[in-house]
Amino acid sequence: MPAQTRAKKNQDKGTAQKRGKEDQGKGAQQAVYVYGILPGDIELEDGTTGVGDPPAEVRVVRSGDLAALVSDVDLDKPLGRPEDLYAHEELLDATAAGVPVLPLRFGAVVASDEAVAEELLGAHGDEFAAALEQLEGHAEYVVKGRYVEDTVLREVLDENPEAGELRDQLKDADEDATRELRMQLGEIVSNSIDAKREQDLQALDDAVSDHVEASVVRSPTDDMEAVHVAFLVDLDSADALEQAVDELARDWGDRIEVRLMGPMAAYDFVGTTTPAQDI
Amino acid sequence: MSGGRPQPSGLADVIDTILDKGLVLDAYVRVSLVGIELLTIDARVVVASVDTYLRFAEAVNRLDISHDKETLPDLVGDLEEGGAKHKTKGALEAAGDKLREFAGGTEDDEEQRSGAGSRSRRGGD
Repeated sequence: MPAQTRAKKNQDKGTAQKRGKEDQGKGAQQAVYVYGILPGDIELEDGTTGVGDPPAEVRVVRSGDLAALVSDVDLDKPLGRPEDLYAHEELLDATAAGVPVLPLRFGAVVASDEAVAEELLGAHGDEFAAALEQLEGHAEYVVKGRYVEDTVLREVLDENPEAGELRDQLKDADEDATRELRMQLGEIVSNSIDAKREQDLQALDDAVSDHVEASVVRSPTDDMEAVHVAFLVDLDSADALEQAVDELARDWGDRIEVRLMGPMAAYDFVGTTTPAQDI
Repeated sequence: MSGGRPQPSGLADVIDTILDKGLVLDAYVRVSLVGIELLTIDARVVVASVDTYLRFAEAVNRLDISHDKETLPDLVGDLEEGGAKHKTKGALEAAGDKLREFAGGTEDDEEQRSGAGSRSRRGGD
């Protein structure tokens, strides 16, 4: 029930650093953790919690037509337990499904609510408002595909006679003497997989390009990763995207395991690039 | 939450997303920025290409003898590979394990955690 946080706006003046439970008796130094920036006309569900142990209550700080989701954070406790990471992303993703939000990178902490209102929202208001307007009705989806190792290695062996020969040479040889050969074989495999990655990325692009506004290819985080791409999607096209990805996954069969994640906040489309310039 | 969409993200996905992406506060706030110790940044280790090559070669060999898979436990295989080149990978796995340990039990809480709603929005247009 929304009987909540907006009232805090005025009473917080100058107290953010001191707020906190006296009964803990620790005198823990507190500051303000910032999750993301939204249009000012949002409200927060009561009892929404964020980072910290125990999870801190999330509040809204407003300035002009903008709002920031924040919570108090103890400076003497390190941040970044998996619970903290999940809390940060879940809050922003749940928000992004309904309203545009500019997500901050994990770990953004400032001294006080005033700093959030004045230095962050106040000082960059026009820029944020413009970005939020562009994000209206959009969210990010991420497609992540992983090669099924056995399948893709068999493909490589089928396509590269040289790899098969190297493998045969290695089969009965003493491991210590074959580092060179193993490196050669590994390099062939690695190059072949790189080439496949390019093709498969193209296939993904072809499959979804009608349903997305913009895309960012994420760099592979491990050597069996096939595709990893973030898409900015008009929420009205989300179903079509999902269907297209499903079809592609069927085409790829047992070569690539595909996952579609979203809707999420537009992490990949804020910051250095302006989101969806072509809308 | 919003419509129980596709698949939920795992920890690795979350790390890829929120440690790497998103607005960087430093670009907007300087004066009152506060440093806080972050635990997870080190968990991301880039695997060197030498490691990758040797791992691929190993995988191809394993493929070849896949009908008697259980020749040696993985640990022994690793030792035979020998030496410092596997350190990175070890560290990476260790970090992953640690994170997973921490993660234990969070799943249960997740349902209670529903995020920010936005009821009042959507009024104007």
